[in-house]
Amino acid sequence: MRVKSLFLQHGRQLTTLFVLILLSAALWALSPHFMSLSNWLNIAQQTAINAIIAAGMTFVIISAGIDLSVGSILALSGVVMASALQAGAPVPLALLLCLVVGALCGSANGLLIARGKLPPFIATLGMMSVARGAALIFSDGRPVSGFAPGFRAIANGEFLAIPLPVWIMAAVYLIAHLVLSRTRLGRYTYAIGGNEEATLLSGVNVKLHKTLVYSLAGLLSALAAILLTARLNSAQPIAGMNYELDAIAATVIGGTSLLGGEGQIFGTLIGAFIMGVLRNGLNLLGVSSFVQQTVIGAVIIVAVLLDMMMKKRRS
Amino acid sequence: MKKAILSLALLGLCIGCSQDKSAPAVALVMKTLNNPFFMDMQLGAEEAAQRLQLPLIVQAAERELDVEKQMQIIENLIQRKVAAICLTPAGSREVIPAILKANRAGIPVLILDTRVDSTALAEAGGKVATFIGSDNFDGGRIAGERIIEKLGGIGRVAILEGIPGHETGDSRLRGFHAAIDKAPGIRIVASQTANWERDQGYNVFQNILQSHPDVQAVFGCNDMMALGAVEAIAAAGRSADILVIGFDAITDAREAIAAGRMEASIAQNPREMGRLAIENAARFMRGEQIPAYIPVPIELVRK
Repeated sequence: MRVKSLFLQHGRQLTTLFVLILLSAALWALSPHFMSLSNWLNIAQQTAINAIIAAGMTFVIISAGIDLSVGSILALSGVVMASALQAGAPVPLALLLCLVVGALCGSANGLLIARGKLPPFIATLGMMSVARGAALIFSDGRPVSGFAPGFRAIANGEFLAIPLPVWIMAAVYLIAHLVLSRTRLGRYTYAIGGNEEATLLSGVNVKLHKTLVYSLAGLLSALAAILLTARLNSAQPIAGMNYELDAIAATVIGGTSLLGGEGQIFGTLIGAFIMGVLRNGLNLLGVSSFVQQTVIGAVIIVAVLLDMMMKKRRS
Repeated sequence: MKKAILSLALLGLCIGCSQDKSAPAVALVMKTLNNPFFMDMQLGAEEAAQRLQLPLIVQAAERELDVEKQMQIIENLIQRKVAAICLTPAGSREVIPAILKANRAGIPVLILDTRVDSTALAEAGGKVATFIGSDNFDGGRIAGERIIEKLGGIGRVAILEGIPGHETGDSRLRGFHAAIDKAPGIRIVASQTANWERDQGYNVFQNILQSHPDVQAVFGCNDMMALGAVEAIAAAGRSADILVIGFDAITDAREAIAAGRMEASIAQNPREMGRLAIENAARFMRGEQIPAYIPVPIELVRK
């Protein structure tokens, strides 16, 4: 009985987890290099950036929105931070600046959507181009590279033998889970996505909470920019292209409905890991990047198909 | 039903996957697979690997400048315990952390085509086995000299640049300028980036034609952009009076040159680069000394 109720509550996440386990088992059988601690830490590090962006995307999609600008916001906040670092700004100040730039771009999205009544697709499509252009203008089209070891430790450093980016990813998901499940912002995010009209009529400040959701997505893109810049020792104005699609894919594989109103944050984390494991495994097997794209696309489709069939059976 | 779908998914996954062989393999990591230049490089590497009976893994990011993806590929190849990595860096500085990781794992890295920023590499304490490539500066200079010769030392020239901040394109551009600077009669009327791409080469050159209809020659820092310009010129009906010189001498460009639609291109011989990469990786793995710079000859391809 308890198992059954557990399944009803977390059914979708369990299905996704099942797919991840099955995929890992298959790769374990195919490659002797897959199932090792060092490879899993490797996968976790590679997944961290997409997973962090996807956490913000999950909030946005649960609220029945979409954010196409996350990759461009990542590039802009990255080059701003990198320039500040090169100008000699202390690391904490540069990090703060990066997060502020990201959050501001996100709030601009939010204001355009909540107050300007623009469809999220249009507003963030515009921001995608504006932020990308701003990143190119700001950096004169050139990568900004070469930082002090203290900053680079964000990507290279370890705590308890686990790389810092993995800790940061874990912290983001823990906090995102608490916000979604325990706070007013979380409840309203689901409510807005489920039925915006009804939420508005019940006296919720929909505009404010929508703006907050997009600001959060911008903030998390900036956090991803910090990790990416430290990882590559360089901030590129052309960084983060197509990252919005990876983040949307992780969210959708994780069971969040594009129609809004439902979704679980840990599903997204598993979704991001499915993509990371796939890429890693296909690299280990020496599969061409053309085939990789096809396989990843097929997995997205199968994951969503599976979800729809399960839902039909449950109802 | 669920099981059926899952097994289908796994089957799909396995199509195209070869069993991961345990023999020490050499990896060739390129910028992308969808550029003829790199396809030729892959061909040369495959021929050499077959002759030497070395297992070869070829990997590349989907997009040419995706340094993060290239880094992931290198990390994964380190996990795969390859014996050597031949790498065409997607970014001269951005690949350094990945090179350091390979260094730490004791895997030699041979750099192809695009140089790594040597000062930054030395500062980071990394090392590469060799650089195998052409002198892009020299290629740019040869292109410039050809344009000066064809225009008789007087004329207006446009440039289609690669993405700024990337060593290959910057060197070609500097070489081209070095030649043009010596010809006071030649004026550069426009120098714009078309991001290495054919469609952008078309659009950017079309725009240049609007503002400078009197332009007489264009230098594309790669053939893709130059070919885009060739199409834009044809669409404007100006094929007879604008010279186009590209870089890389890819198959499409050679055909355009043979057909008289393009003046010339600079051949870098990526196939030779691929061959030299694998042969030198094999020598290095046997413990032999290899030179720090292995030049690949450059030549002007014209009708």
